[in-house]
Order: sequence, then structure tokens, then C-alpha cells
Amino acid sequence: MRLPPLAPLRPGALAALGAPAIAMGATFLAFGAAVAAAGRGLGWAMGASLLVYGMAGQLVLLQGGGVAPAVLGATVANARFLPMAMALAPWLGGGARRWLSLPFIAITPWAAAMRVLPGLPAPARLPWFLGFALASWIVAGLATALGHAAAPLLSPPVLAALLFANPLYFALLLAAELRLPAPRRAILAGVLAAPVAFWLPSAWGLLGAGLLGGTLAFLAGLRRGRG
Amino acid sequence: MAEADLALLLAALAMLLLRALGLLVAGALRPDHPLVAWAAAVSQATLSAFVALAVLAPGGAVAAIPLPARLAGLAAGLLAGVALRRGLLASLGLGLLALILARWALQ
Repeated sequence: MRLPPLAPLRPGALAALGAPAIAMGATFLAFGAAVAAAGRGLGWAMGASLLVYGMAGQLVLLQGGGVAPAVLGATVANARFLPMAMALAPWLGGGARRWLSLPFIAITPWAAAMRVLPGLPAPARLPWFLGFALASWIVAGLATALGHAAAPLLSPPVLAALLFANPLYFALLLAAELRLPAPRRAILAGVLAAPVAFWLPSAWGLLGAGLLGGTLAFLAGLRRGRG
Repeated sequence: MAEADLALLLAALAMLLLRALGLLVAGALRPDHPLVAWAAAVSQATLSAFVALAVLAPGGAVAAIPLPARLAGLAAGLLAGVALRRGLLASLGLGLLALILARWALQ
């Protein structure tokens, strides 16, 4: 099979190498440092960042506590990958090539893709996503390695500021989505449903809040559509 | 194989399965299909719940940042991004700067 040319990947890759790379890099840097602090090796840190590639699940795995609880906890914590892949799939085209995107479906590429892909011509969508996804995946890997190596140099206040970059980045993305009615409903419902997380076991909290808030927002949208 | 390595391997496989299920179920659907709209709403609600919890009730190292400093960081970032129409990168930088300054001022 002839390898596809890389030039179509460039616009997506360039889009990733700004705020998304900084926000993601900061979080994965902090994760690398946390893995080193827990006494686990660079290989484990890289495996978690590049193969699990979802911070909530990575942190659950790092907590450990037995194979079955760790795997189940990480899966539940990252269960958002399922609805995210569903929301993204129609924009990636129907061909077998969309499966190239499989390992990269995670919050940051998903959020960027949902903003950009609908405005692109259909043939440019999958290459844009793959370019963005590859660039951010590589940044995540490099940042993890750097954090693992630099762990002794990172004080707790620096780590805390690095970890805050991620929610702040997502808050900025979500704020930009508030002008559209359907995302606005879902975002507000998610914030209102967030306290549900306190009544659930920690790995299930986010999933529970997202399912409740998202479903209510979806139903409200149906009513609005009918009325 | 060490316990941590086995857990990592199994979790990585589970992540692939979650992503593959999503692609498989919705690959043939149009973007305005109700199932896709529901999945998008759940994803967005999950993300906004994540932000709300990370700002108001964080765990780990972020919990050591006082709540007023976290709120100052969020407010400064959003103000820069939405009100002043700064780019993502500048808003992110301003938000983090406000967080660090507020934390320093509160000490």
C-alpha cells in the first residue's frame, strides 16, 4: 500500500501546536512527574499517556489498588470516549480510513474537531483530525517524558499551576461554544449536574454527571424542536 | 508481568474498545441523527462537569490552590477569551498568570 502524502495533515497539526499543545503538554508534564514520584518507570508513564491517552483514566491507573479495580476504574473514568467517538464518527467519513483515528479519540482532539470539522469540505476532515491528533499525541508523549525526568525539579505549586492549565483550556473552549443553543444547553446542564459526582464513587462521578446532564439537555432540545 | 503493567495493558485495550464501539455505532449515521446528538450532549456535559469540578472541588495538587485563586484564574481566562476576544493561547496564559498572582497575594 502506498503511504498517503503528509501535506494534508499539516493544517490540523499546526492548529494543535498552539494553546491545545500548551494545555495538554502542561497536564502530561505533571502526569509524568506524578508517575516518577510514585516510583514507576518511564516506560509505564509513556504507555499510560500514549495508549490510555485520557487523563482521568491515567490518574486512576496510577492510584493502583489491584488489577481489576484499576482497570475498571480507568475504563469508567474514560467512558466519555464512547459518546465522544459517536459524536465524532459522522464527521470522519464512511470509509475504512476513519479507523486511523481510533487511538487518538480523546478530549482535546475531539473538542477541536467538533469546532472545526463541520466547516471543512468533507475530504479535508479526516486529514485535519489526523494531523491535529498526531501532533497532540506526540506533544503528550514528549511532555510525559520531560515531566518524568524533571520530577525532582517541579515543586507542588508549579505542578498545581500546570494541572490547572487543562480545565482552564476546556473552560475557554466551552465558553466559545455557548453562543449555539444545543451546546449551551449541554454545557449548562453539565455544570448543574456536576454535584452528582459527590454522591458517586470517584471513578463514576464524572460519567454520572455527564450522562445525567447530557441526557437532560438532549431531551430539552427535543422538546424545543417539537414546540 | 507486574501488576501495574498488566493493569496498564488491560486498560489500554479497554480504551480502544470504547473508541471502536463509538466509531462502529455512529460511523454510518448522519451528524444530525438523534443518537449522535445525544452523544454530543453527553460529551459536552461531561466536559463542563469536569471543568466545574476541577475549579470548585479539585483533587490532588490543585486542591492546594485556594478557591479564590482558582476562581481568579478562571475568571481572568474567560474575560480575556470571551470579553476581550483574545486568542486561546493568550487567554490561557492570562488565566494562569492571574491564578499564580492571586495565590501569591493570598499567602
